[in-house]
Amino acid sequence: MKAKVGVTALALLFVAGLWLIAAPFVTGHQPRGAAYTDATVNDLWVGGLLSGGSFVTLVAYAADALREITGRGKHAAD
Amino acid sequence: MIRKFAGAVVAALALMAGLWLMIAPFALGTQPETADWTGATTSEFFTGLGVTVVGVIGVASFVASIHEELVTRGLVTVRQRRPEPQPVPEPAPAAPQTSSAELAALLAPLVEALREDLNSTGEHRQNGATPLIGAEDNR
Repeated sequence: MKAKVGVTALALLFVAGLWLIAAPFVTGHQPRGAAYTDATVNDLWVGGLLSGGSFVTLVAYAADALREITGRGKHAAD
Repeated sequence: MIRKFAGAVVAALALMAGLWLMIAPFALGTQPETADWTGATTSEFFTGLGVTVVGVIGVASFVASIHEELVTRGLVTVRQRRPEPQPVPEPAPAAPQTSSAELAALLAPLVEALREDLNSTGEHRQNGATPLIGAEDNR
């Protein structure tokens, strides 16, 4: 149950990272065609790292959980 | 176990990223000090606040989950809080039980001594050479 809350938090962090990447363009603070402002660059870096890190962790978590489930199946078959 | 640890680490990193997002507009100078907050500042600040809160929740839940698993495996023992023992009042020393006969035997010499004293006091007064008041007057 507690781990499920943690996984939900990771999913929310992934969404927040995507929002950070899109925010400067969605809110219109980054003019189209102009050079990226410092705020835009910061948002892109932080959002990219946040969404990338949380995504990798979610995938690793799911993979480890699957490995554990298959391991249990083998033991049950034996 | 490892996956939960990785989750806790990433959530902690996200927490720090959220804190950075909150201060970034002021640290990078994109927010003028005297002016009202711009749209970009507001967006970054509140996104950072949300990321920080979610990061704290993630770290807490993953750490609690790791602790729970360690307890289940028997690698960590949970200390049971013992209620502090109530101080037991020491029983008062029992008064020596003396019967009335023993009491009478104890008091008998005292009573006898008092009686003799009373009798002897009367003799002294009778055998005194002069009364004290008279002796004082003759000085």
